[in-house]
Amino acid sequence: MKLEKKSVSDEIPTASMADITFLLIIFFMVTNTFSATRGLDFAIPKEDKSTPLVEREESVLISIHAGGAIEVDGRSMRADQILEYLKPKLERNATKPVIIRPDPDASYGDMVKVYDVLREGKNKGVEVRNINIPTQREVDQFWY
Amino acid sequence: MADIVFLLIIFFVLTFNVEVDKTMVDLPRTNLRFEVPKKAATVSITDSGQMRVSDGESASTPVASVQDVLSFASEMLATDPEKDFVLKADRNVPYREVDQVIDALKQAKVTAVYLLSEQETVEGGGQ
Repeated sequence: MKLEKKSVSDEIPTASMADITFLLIIFFMVTNTFSATRGLDFAIPKEDKSTPLVEREESVLISIHAGGAIEVDGRSMRADQILEYLKPKLERNATKPVIIRPDPDASYGDMVKVYDVLREGKNKGVEVRNINIPTQREVDQFWY
Repeated sequence: MADIVFLLIIFFVLTFNVEVDKTMVDLPRTNLRFEVPKKAATVSITDSGQMRVSDGESASTPVASVQDVLSFASEMLATDPEKDFVLKADRNVPYREVDQVIDALKQAKVTAVYLLSEQETVEGGGQ
């Protein structure tokens, strides 16, 4: 009697592989949102009563008015002029505190823009090490 | 063909991250941008002042006031004192509101906050 020989392939069937991988690709493409995952870090100083608070007289005060006008130590200037103004001051005292005081009605974008300018100073040879952005509560509590 | 498809899959797997906060905001533009740590808690503020919080793993939930942000942050820090926070605020939000949120985070003793931003373009992006 002649037995019918069943031929068994010894290879993994790969015909459906492309379909499966395509499905996976579509899944990852749809669920993946290239969400914004980058930004500026903003270290919050420890709220420690023992550390002496920044004296306003020794520091540079950058006020941001509603509408985006910038005033540095009472002089109005553009954002790109700030580093120039700070350079000689920071050369004398590298840890000179720079305080950013945005007006409550100024936009968040303007505050971030100024903060970005100060942080970027490091790449332009004017490293601003001591940037303070006190909140309104702190200002009320300690300065007045 | 399969090779290319595999490469694409690997690319998507590596860049895969589930967005926990789907709030649409116009982020501020900055020149400097650093990678924000994964699984950081998120606080978002839209230009209409609506705030949402997320622990970085589950979807964000709306909160009514800054007080809620404070209690949320304290809760987060109770489980992980080193928890990073990401502030995702619209660039047109009045600073007053951002100030209150940062103050709430300070009171909760958050150590690091990241201000989410977009890349500043050379021509200033119309701003």
